[in-house]
Amino acid sequence: MGPVPEADLVSTNGSAAPAVGTPAAGVVPSALSANAAASAVIRVEHVSRWFGSVVAVSDVTFDIGPGITGLLGPNGAGKTTLLRMMTGLAEVSDGTVTMFGEPVRDNPPLYRRVGVMSEHEAVYPFLKGRDFVRMMARLRGVENPEAATEKAIGLVDLAEAAELPMGTYSRGMRQRMRLAGTLVHDPEVLILDEPLNGADPRQRVHFQALLKRLAAEGRTIVLSSHILEEVERIAQTVLLIVNGKLAASGGFRAIRAALDKRPYHVRVMADRPRELAAAVVRLDSVDAVNVDPDGALIVLSRKVRELQVELPRLAKEASISLRRVEPLDDSLESVFGYLVEG
Amino acid sequence: MGAVYSLTLRQLTGRWRLVIMTVLAALPVVFTAVVVRDSTTPFIEEFETIVLGTMLVGTISPLIIVAIASVAFGNEVEDRTLANLTLAPIPRWQIVLPKLAASVTVALPFILMSALVTSWLAFNHDVLATWAVTVGALAGLLMYASVFVWLGLVTRHAMAAGLLYIVLWEGFFSGYVSGIRFLSIRYYSIALMHGLDPRRFVAQPNVGLGAAVVVAVAVCALFAFLSTRRLRRMDVP
Repeated sequence: MGPVPEADLVSTNGSAAPAVGTPAAGVVPSALSANAAASAVIRVEHVSRWFGSVVAVSDVTFDIGPGITGLLGPNGAGKTTLLRMMTGLAEVSDGTVTMFGEPVRDNPPLYRRVGVMSEHEAVYPFLKGRDFVRMMARLRGVENPEAATEKAIGLVDLAEAAELPMGTYSRGMRQRMRLAGTLVHDPEVLILDEPLNGADPRQRVHFQALLKRLAAEGRTIVLSSHILEEVERIAQTVLLIVNGKLAASGGFRAIRAALDKRPYHVRVMADRPRELAAAVVRLDSVDAVNVDPDGALIVLSRKVRELQVELPRLAKEASISLRRVEPLDDSLESVFGYLVEG
Repeated sequence: MGAVYSLTLRQLTGRWRLVIMTVLAALPVVFTAVVVRDSTTPFIEEFETIVLGTMLVGTISPLIIVAIASVAFGNEVEDRTLANLTLAPIPRWQIVLPKLAASVTVALPFILMSALVTSWLAFNHDVLATWAVTVGALAGLLMYASVFVWLGLVTRHAMAAGLLYIVLWEGFFSGYVSGIRFLSIRYYSIALMHGLDPRRFVAQPNVGLGAAVVVAVAVCALFAFLSTRRLRRMDVP
């Protein structure tokens, strides 16, 4: 295994035009960056978008090449606005977005090469699933719409529901049929906004396998999510968006490693908190321990995985009952908060 | 374009919408049937002003069309499904024209039957007068549909804005302010009727048949163009 690529962590504390990663260093592991910059499929350069006085996206620059790229960020971070500008659905206030070297905005011929699935789960409730996918095929100029429709429905494993009106579908089924409509013209680029919303665990596994297969065929796939683990399973590279700015970018493992260096706060409820605190503070994985007025231990740890193993063992040895152990800041928002402050 | 057209037809033919359209379209017919049975039959000028001008062309027809054409795009914007169309590799006018055509297709039977039966009854089975009224109403249909399809792209409250337009502009201002009359769809629809049957109707001052046809075509072309341009420039939800 090669060296873990270094993550490009970007401060977003700066002014309206913060220094962000260079296009080449933005998404692709550094060892590949020179080639990837040359073969960038999507290029986002100094893109900003504001609505009145509200800045939704601020001076974001990156390149995306073939493979799966995860666009990660908390709700309201600007992911959807950024994706909408990348697909040409929304105008940029400043900067440029190109795909295959062409502008994406108002460029219908380019859309033959792109499949987009928006975050909105709206469907045409009166259309049968098969009719919807066939319509998408016809709209996108597919030569043999019937064959393409059956193939796309097969890809999402929804043939049994294809003759039902989409208004009767569950949320997960709607998403899968929408994905079939997105894939029906065999696009080279896939842009998917929160595609796993509403999917059950089996569907998630199926979806992840499908995306990996499509990426292995050389496609460029961008998907957004606010769930770290979801992106971790699929994406080779990650863009972290916080407050409309590019907070970090690079290989997932490098970013994960950077996240692991941050101290975590863990709240522990036990029947003898002060005795547990005295024992816990001696652990190598623990940086500090506080006891709250309500008797809860607040443990600060930079090695939270070790703590997960050691804490139950310690409690068992001291015959202390653990009633509850919960991370206080394991949300993506706090992760990004750490990155931003760092 | 066929895919957009057939999709829009499906979107616009909800059961309740069709029921309401039927009721609206029947109103001038019922009113006329009552009037012609009455011994105190009004003069043709009165009938033209009240039933043809105000009721059919000025109110019922635009109401039917606003309920249909304003949601041709309006529903897609509201439901956030418009991206399915705008991300298709086809020129924007190939989205606008089928939407407009589908709106006209759905409204056509109601307007056609309403104008046809109303004038057939009112003018005692006079073919030329019936033809004139029907063509005038259909020209109005095309013009109103172009305007309301565009309206569905520029505001999320297209139906309300359309109703305001019908009541205030077409109904009130164009009736009382002579200058505004020239910017009224109703005026040119009636001018067409007058031009097509000069026996029955007194010619409209200042607007002949040719001018009415030119304006009708220009209004349709202008708003189709504006819709296309709007579709190219707008942020699609």
